[in-house]
Amino acid sequence: MATESVKYVAPETETKLQNQVFPRPGQHTTGIIDWLTTIDHKKIGFMYGLTALFFLLVGGLEALLIRSQLWNHNLDILNNREYNQMFTMHGTTMVFLVIMPLSAAFFNFVMPLQIGARDVAFPRMNTLSLWCFIAGGITLNLSWFFTGGSPAIGWFGYAPLTDNRFAEVMNDMGPDFWVFSLQILGVASLLASFNFITTIINMRAPGMTMMRLPVFTWMTLVVSFLIILAFPAITIALAELMFDRTYGTNFYDFQEGGKPHLWQHLFWIFGHPEVYILILPAMGIVSEVIPAFSRKPLFGYGLIVFSGVIIGFMGFAVWSHHMFTTGMGIVATSAFAILTMLIAIPTGVKIFNWIGTMWGGRIRFETPMLFALGFITMFMIGGFTGIMHSSVPIDAQHQDSYFVVAHFHYVLIGGALFGLFSGFYFWLPKMTGRLMNEKIGKVVFTLMFIGFNVTFFPMHYLGMIGQPRRTHTYNLGHGFEAWNQIATVGAFVLGIGIAIGVYQFVSSFFDKKLKPAGKNPWDARTLEWTLSSPVKEYNFARMPIIKSRDQAWENNYGPKEKHSEKEPLDDHGVHMPDRSWCPLVTGAGLLTLILGMLFHATKDLETGVVLERDYMIPIIGGIVFIIGIIMWAMEGPGGYHLFPKEDEE
Amino acid sequence: MIHKILSRQSLLFSLAIILSGGCSRIDHKQSALDPKGIVAQNQYDIFMLSVWITIFLFCAVGGCLLYVLWKYRVKNEEEAMEVPPQTHGNSKVETLLILASTVILVILAIPTLQGVVLMNRVPDPNDEATLKKLNLDREQIEGAITVNVTGKRFFWIFEYPQFGIVTANELVFPVTKAIRINLKSEDVIHSFWIPKLAGKMDAMPGHENFMWFIADQEKILSRTDRHGKPFKENVATAMPSVFNGKMREAVFAKQDFNATFEPVGGLFYGQCAEYCGNSHAYMSFRGLAQTDADFAKWVERMQNAQNPNLKTLQWDSTKEYEKGSVVIAKDESLVDEYEKGSAVIDKEESLVDENSTREFRALSKVSKGDEPNFSSGSWKKLNSNDYEIGKALFLGSQCGECHALNRTGIGSKGPNLTLFGLRTSLAAGWMRNDRTNLVEWLQDSNKVKFGNLMWNGERVDDKHPLRSFKPLPILEEDGDQLKEEKKELNKEKSIRVNQLVTYLLDQR
Repeated sequence: MATESVKYVAPETETKLQNQVFPRPGQHTTGIIDWLTTIDHKKIGFMYGLTALFFLLVGGLEALLIRSQLWNHNLDILNNREYNQMFTMHGTTMVFLVIMPLSAAFFNFVMPLQIGARDVAFPRMNTLSLWCFIAGGITLNLSWFFTGGSPAIGWFGYAPLTDNRFAEVMNDMGPDFWVFSLQILGVASLLASFNFITTIINMRAPGMTMMRLPVFTWMTLVVSFLIILAFPAITIALAELMFDRTYGTNFYDFQEGGKPHLWQHLFWIFGHPEVYILILPAMGIVSEVIPAFSRKPLFGYGLIVFSGVIIGFMGFAVWSHHMFTTGMGIVATSAFAILTMLIAIPTGVKIFNWIGTMWGGRIRFETPMLFALGFITMFMIGGFTGIMHSSVPIDAQHQDSYFVVAHFHYVLIGGALFGLFSGFYFWLPKMTGRLMNEKIGKVVFTLMFIGFNVTFFPMHYLGMIGQPRRTHTYNLGHGFEAWNQIATVGAFVLGIGIAIGVYQFVSSFFDKKLKPAGKNPWDARTLEWTLSSPVKEYNFARMPIIKSRDQAWENNYGPKEKHSEKEPLDDHGVHMPDRSWCPLVTGAGLLTLILGMLFHATKDLETGVVLERDYMIPIIGGIVFIIGIIMWAMEGPGGYHLFPKEDEE
Repeated sequence: MIHKILSRQSLLFSLAIILSGGCSRIDHKQSALDPKGIVAQNQYDIFMLSVWITIFLFCAVGGCLLYVLWKYRVKNEEEAMEVPPQTHGNSKVETLLILASTVILVILAIPTLQGVVLMNRVPDPNDEATLKKLNLDREQIEGAITVNVTGKRFFWIFEYPQFGIVTANELVFPVTKAIRINLKSEDVIHSFWIPKLAGKMDAMPGHENFMWFIADQEKILSRTDRHGKPFKENVATAMPSVFNGKMREAVFAKQDFNATFEPVGGLFYGQCAEYCGNSHAYMSFRGLAQTDADFAKWVERMQNAQNPNLKTLQWDSTKEYEKGSVVIAKDESLVDEYEKGSAVIDKEESLVDENSTREFRALSKVSKGDEPNFSSGSWKKLNSNDYEIGKALFLGSQCGECHALNRTGIGSKGPNLTLFGLRTSLAAGWMRNDRTNLVEWLQDSNKVKFGNLMWNGERVDDKHPLRSFKPLPILEEDGDQLKEEKKELNKEKSIRVNQLVTYLLDQR
């Protein structure tokens, strides 16, 4: 690391403020303070990823408890309330604390490298997004320890089951934790999305036109737009629910003229785009992995990008297919059925194009490719059953049965999680600088692939023979036992596979015995593979000038005129910003604020139960939050300059 | 090589399971693969169409994928370093594939739209073309039975507005007529799912939904035996009558809830399909198909049982009574019977005293002033002592606050128990309705169905008489005397519960 650094002298007005108000931890910060104050997109990506992997294990444990309970009829490993809490927490955890943040981890780490940027547009906002995500995870899981335990309302919390009137435990706080954690997770997602959009629009390297963007970056862009358009709907729905629960308003209370339908519409107009928020990043990853391991450019790049955009756009027009059995009438159900079928076309296009990419290539079956192929086949099955559900008469049987459980696990594990695992095996060497053990990788894939199919394929049949979803047990004589036992065995195999995989990912950060990865271990195609592994703190020593879509490939194999160039070295060097405490302070303020809103004193008067809220804690939290923002605004840029040598990228 | 297993394995899986479900028609109690009505048959047909379409697509695309993976796999180190031609796409192929997938979707879309209309609208009786297509007669539609279904936590109310009767958890319906179901809920959202007849529709609070079904007698009668040989069952055994308890007997005889499950054709299983709280899993129900004549008789019995004008009156000394008349009169002897188990329910406040009454039936014509008692010879007690004490328990233990039973009780919080002794199931279709189960249910329903509202509902606490039926646990550390006392007490509790059970099961 032959770099020398000098203190950057900012204009006087700014440096003064910085020194008086709040110093930013500087270049040589290490250890825990480094991780708490970092604003480097790569480190934030690590933290997103590791936290999400932790929650993956938590959610997986919940799933295994669920599967154990269903081993046989009338078991009581969990009683019914515990079971209901378990599936609520499993669903919420997997959607909001695992798949979304895992995608965010890749967005953070990979996207700036793919477009040739120094960092994201708003690095401190990026850190705040991370802390909000962690605060959301803490809030949700704190619910285990308070009145009523965790929420038992299902991950889509249908009104009026969430109403106090129907609480099955006195002063049940579970749904409150659920509401507030989703709100703060929404903040996290929105912050990240605005950040990514700004970054992709504004910070591309010279020559990196929109139609030269790697597909993964395109999907980052689409998903970010989906998030900022979809999350307001659930934010409103949750705020209304909070008012209903806390102040006795009646948005969803049918006895006072509210409409339970309203919740379903608001939830699913968020919830369906959410499905694409979960799957499009995986599609982006697969669209990077398959060309790399086929040694061919993506077949029909324009069409793949366009179909990704179309899927995102149409995702807002099909939400009511979750509500076919709620009685919307013939016209509405028919319209949504047709729209839902249409969305199968751009999805099909992607699969055709992935196969087209492999056609005529040189296909290598390394672990990332295996997961990508697993993604294609499993997602295909999930997609096909999805087409079945778009047909209303079929849905009348499938809705809320195990068939639906099978369907969305095929999409979310066979699809999203396999895609993300493919991404881990693909990009982790870039992050850690070490190649992971191929043999262990293949064992993980085999265990996951077999375990997954053994778990979820029988569920199609279980749904058809009448097992309803979200039931903690079943009666003798339905013939459910054998299939459930197969599924449970499969779940444990899948669980072992995932656990080994997670161990492999985490250990590759520390295991010094692993082989070094080098710049481009896979002979992959996009810009991030022109950098050394692990990527230097400053990403690009000199701004690259992009000449083609698959820049790393063209640099190695393309004609001279397609090789990228670099802007010349100058005296200015690379400006690196200082670290900052402000996002952590702001995030901690927000966490205190929402936790304070949750807790209340209960008084049992003669007239009944009265809730008394203590507003001191949320006010303190709010003050900390505001102080954090003011410090944020006043702390000034600070920073230092690095001067990489000529030969460093 | 793993990639080979990759697609083939899932293919085999899908084929094996779908074929075993689709062709051999395993008779599961609640299976959508075994439709017994027009609406469910339509749903099944569209499902099978979609299954074949997707199997075709999976084989086509998966086959293509396998071919590519095999053909273009890297065989050695040198090949891995080769640079294949860098083609970027082929717009003709892409357009063709988009068009092909559109065509396939149209194939599925047409029956889908037809199915939506069928599910949501009972065919117009004047529309002969449709009736002919569905193989229905005009009077099957014109004589449609309307049932108002209310979902509650965690049971179902079935109200027949055409007949003015209410029942719960077991939907009795005539096999030849269209059944119009109006769905609503009084608390959270439930979903009425009866897979073999019509799929499902949500019961929403504050919003009425509609679905309909019509059973197919031919399908109910066509059965296959264990060796897969088809045979025709006759009407009497496939659809035993409900009104005289034959259905109950047949179900008990055939269905031991074991692997040797033998279905009764006219019995359909249903289940709440929308998560509705703690005991959602326990919220099932049953549909009992009947011939028109049997259904009419059942309706008549229900009407008689629920008609307030037919209430048994107090004996009137100024009246003469015909043979067979039933009156209510005092019977002091009940007190002795009652005291055999009086340690259980509050000793100070006995539910049966010297003023307690029972029902008597006149054995012959009875003249004025001949007071009903056992000595007079002209009256006979209508019900057993246990029944009468059970009735007193039912009324005195607050059961009537939630359950209506014939003309007794005011409540609608719990299931209506009219003609309870004819029901095949107990606790919203969860258990067989016999004495053992009913005793177990009443003594500790929370153990059977954790979180049920009879045990945990509003204003049910440890002081509630229902909870006093629960036997006391006999612990190791109890002294001998205490153990004896507890045993004695539990024996009395058991007497009480059995009296209540006698009352309930004699409602037939």
